[in-house]
Amino acid sequence: MTETMARPPLDKKVITRLTEIFGEERVLTNNTDMITYSYDASFETQLNPRKPEVAVIALSTEEVSECVKLANEYKIPIYPRGAATGQTGGAVSTKGGIMIDLSKMNRILDIDHRNMQVMIEPGVVQNDLNEALKPYGLRFPPDPGSANMCTVGGMVSNNSSGLRAVKYGVTRHYVLGMEVVLPTGDVIVTGGAHSKALKSVSGYDLAHLMIGSEGTLGIVTRLRLKLLPLPVTRGIVLCSFKELEDAGAAVNAVFSSGLQPSAIEIMDFNCTKAVNMMKPELNLPIDNEAILVFEVDGAKEEVSSQVTRLKKVVEKYASYIKFSDEPEECEKLWQARKLVGAAVGLLKPGGFRVYGGEDICVPISRLPETLREIHNIADRYGIVCGIYGHVGDGNLHTGPVVNSNNEVEMENVQKMIDDIHDLAIKMEGTTTAEHGVGIVRAKYMDVEHGPAMEIMRAIKKTLDPNNILNPGKMALPN
Amino acid sequence: MKLLTPEQSMYTCVRCGACRGVCPTLNITGREADGPRGRVLMARALLEGTISVNQEIKDQLDRCLLCSACVDACPMDVQVPDIVMVAKEQIAAAVEMDSFHERSVKLDTSQVDIKKQAKPVRNVKDFLFDKVLADQKNLNKVGNLLWMYQKSGLQKVTRAIGIMKFFPEQMQQMERIMPEILPPSKRKHHPEFTPRANDKRDSRGRVAFFQGCLMDMMFRETNDNSIKLLSKTGFDVVTPKAQVCCGALHHHSGKTEKSIELAKANIIAFEEAKVDYIITNAGGCGAALVEYEEFFRDDPVWLERAKGFSSKIRDISEIVHEKGEMPATVGRGERVTYQPSCHLQYVMKVKDAPAKLVKTVPNVEYVELPDKKYCCGSAGIYNMLQPELANEILDKKMEKVKETDSAVLITANPGCYLQMKLGVHKEGMEKVIETKHVVDYLVESIDRAESKSLS
Repeated sequence: MTETMARPPLDKKVITRLTEIFGEERVLTNNTDMITYSYDASFETQLNPRKPEVAVIALSTEEVSECVKLANEYKIPIYPRGAATGQTGGAVSTKGGIMIDLSKMNRILDIDHRNMQVMIEPGVVQNDLNEALKPYGLRFPPDPGSANMCTVGGMVSNNSSGLRAVKYGVTRHYVLGMEVVLPTGDVIVTGGAHSKALKSVSGYDLAHLMIGSEGTLGIVTRLRLKLLPLPVTRGIVLCSFKELEDAGAAVNAVFSSGLQPSAIEIMDFNCTKAVNMMKPELNLPIDNEAILVFEVDGAKEEVSSQVTRLKKVVEKYASYIKFSDEPEECEKLWQARKLVGAAVGLLKPGGFRVYGGEDICVPISRLPETLREIHNIADRYGIVCGIYGHVGDGNLHTGPVVNSNNEVEMENVQKMIDDIHDLAIKMEGTTTAEHGVGIVRAKYMDVEHGPAMEIMRAIKKTLDPNNILNPGKMALPN
Repeated sequence: MKLLTPEQSMYTCVRCGACRGVCPTLNITGREADGPRGRVLMARALLEGTISVNQEIKDQLDRCLLCSACVDACPMDVQVPDIVMVAKEQIAAAVEMDSFHERSVKLDTSQVDIKKQAKPVRNVKDFLFDKVLADQKNLNKVGNLLWMYQKSGLQKVTRAIGIMKFFPEQMQQMERIMPEILPPSKRKHHPEFTPRANDKRDSRGRVAFFQGCLMDMMFRETNDNSIKLLSKTGFDVVTPKAQVCCGALHHHSGKTEKSIELAKANIIAFEEAKVDYIITNAGGCGAALVEYEEFFRDDPVWLERAKGFSSKIRDISEIVHEKGEMPATVGRGERVTYQPSCHLQYVMKVKDAPAKLVKTVPNVEYVELPDKKYCCGSAGIYNMLQPELANEILDKKMEKVKETDSAVLITANPGCYLQMKLGVHKEGMEKVIETKHVVDYLVESIDRAESKSLS
């Protein structure tokens, strides 16, 4: 365990006061509980888990507000947490303090289908929300790979997105308003205290300051989200390319032909190999540098014609094409992309996949050279990796695979991660497109933002004068 | 066979959280330590020696139902129940032995004396598992005693004088919903061979029926009906006399030697039956039988035999649905819902065969039970050991059952059956909802159709 106690230990009175707010059962101080709250899904917490001193399970805005006020009174750090599926250490402690678990605030409060919006608590899981919306023919579109387990509160705090961002955008585009407990404990509602409007330019857009602030500026306790109709059907075109440059050219050609795919996914040769290992019956072509999987969606007739047009456009560049607009066949073709995240781990027997340098984003035009350069970096450190991602917006997920008992590899993979992040900035990109900064990418923030970083620190200081809310994240003071 | 040992599997967990949405205990408390990811982390801290063995870690791990829903949800197939079991075995071993220095786990008795608590529970378990469940004769004697208790009026007497109030609440309620034990005359051995009912049709296969230990004593009628259902749907049924208890409860309590002994006896008994499939009607037993090969990782001869045995295990609903031919059935216009058995849906991977069969019965309305993914809280003897949590799980389950407004609640495992009956009893809804094993429900539907066609 990392020694995170740079402060005097918690005053016993704090536990008493917390018990008054939450009741005995929802204030946890056992060592075993602290162990379980010292991780998220990041590689960083695997190496250095960070224990809080107490964890509380919140059920209401009032409880959250009282808890934050108490934290201010005693100057104790407080760390909001949803399902802790993040890859950045964003939902763990940096110096003891209070872990506030919001995953039980998971009620869907109002499905206002006529006004195309929904009001929820932050602990609702993305897929549960979409299941509840299905009967109304509606959905909340952002689709991170962790949609089965991540909370919408976490998605908003990290402004997450997924492979359909190329057509449907990111979480930010669907937040109409929110109730937030500020770092002082005060509660505000953004986007109009009583508004149900779908558009508004009234005042500073505070919701958008909160979105992606990773719980450093406030704790979201209610969300008003915009909804879209469910697409009727979809079609898939899977194609393979001899050279990365051909794949890049194909993506350009598709965009300039007026087509709007709902996803464009890339898998490099190592990913293809890994998927074939996991599911040999898929039998993906392997003597190529990359595979692209295009998805289109919409009404039935529209999808069929899009698939045909798409196929025609990519034919010039691809060495192999498979396509379908039949649901079952689409599901089969899509499997390749679906399995890749888990399959990458198979690239090295007994190895595990490290989430690090896993979320860079570069201009689409620089994708081929970036992919090649990542493999050069990996070769330099003697590490095997698979690269896949959302080409439509230039977002690449790199998956290095290492043996945890190989010390040299463990050290090299950290260097490789640094090099990948440096590369992203060199390629006019960003270190993170959808996963966030947290602890793990804090060190790149000043380089990436320059003087703008000082403005972020000033905003933080204004809203959180005691620096109690999720300190030590995003290169903000600990 | 599973690719990795529990310890290896523990290190493949990347804490992605895919297990969070299916865990019944996490669903109740929302506490990370009550979810699969938390349990893996705690087990790991214990096995690596980061924390010592004490009452706190024992209590935490005991809260796991071992339902396996998390394994089914896990993209890496992390074997959470096995990992929890390994940790529990280490705790038991540390309590048993005093030379903790040789082990990686350390014993800490500063809180409550973990040793004191362990002893009486262990004695009862030893007696029950070694002397009763594993021995058909003794089990039969217990059955006779229970039957006498129910028939002699003693049950009425104990209820009248209220002696049960000295037992924990959970036991009291269990006593009330105990199925009626059949008299010894009706609990003779099943016929060793029961041919298919309609010999003019081709056989659908030669199968062996696994009767189970408690199942055969407490749910004799369901077992009789299982053989009948198999025969009616076209199977020739062998019921080997030499078969014994599956050993699931022994294994779950860390009694590996006894489990291996029972496994070998069953493998021999069913090899002699020379059948295509071995059929169980209890998800809990079936799940133990398909995992026999795990016992023999280091024994190539028995491993081969165990693989042969396990590959033949099928649940009765699964085989009837896939290979059987259902005769005419008819319902009574009732609405029916189904609570799956965890071991059936998550370990044997039989997701909805019971529901599919029920849906084929004419004049029946089938409705899906919301949140059927969650364990009902029976989980072996969990409701005796964790009464509070088990109660909350059950209450939540009954809320969902009520939502369906069903007249029949189908189950596919004796533990689930008792737990659901207990839930119905607690809600005072015995007159509204009938709890039934899917086999009994189907046989009744067949009988009803037969008597209708006669009249």
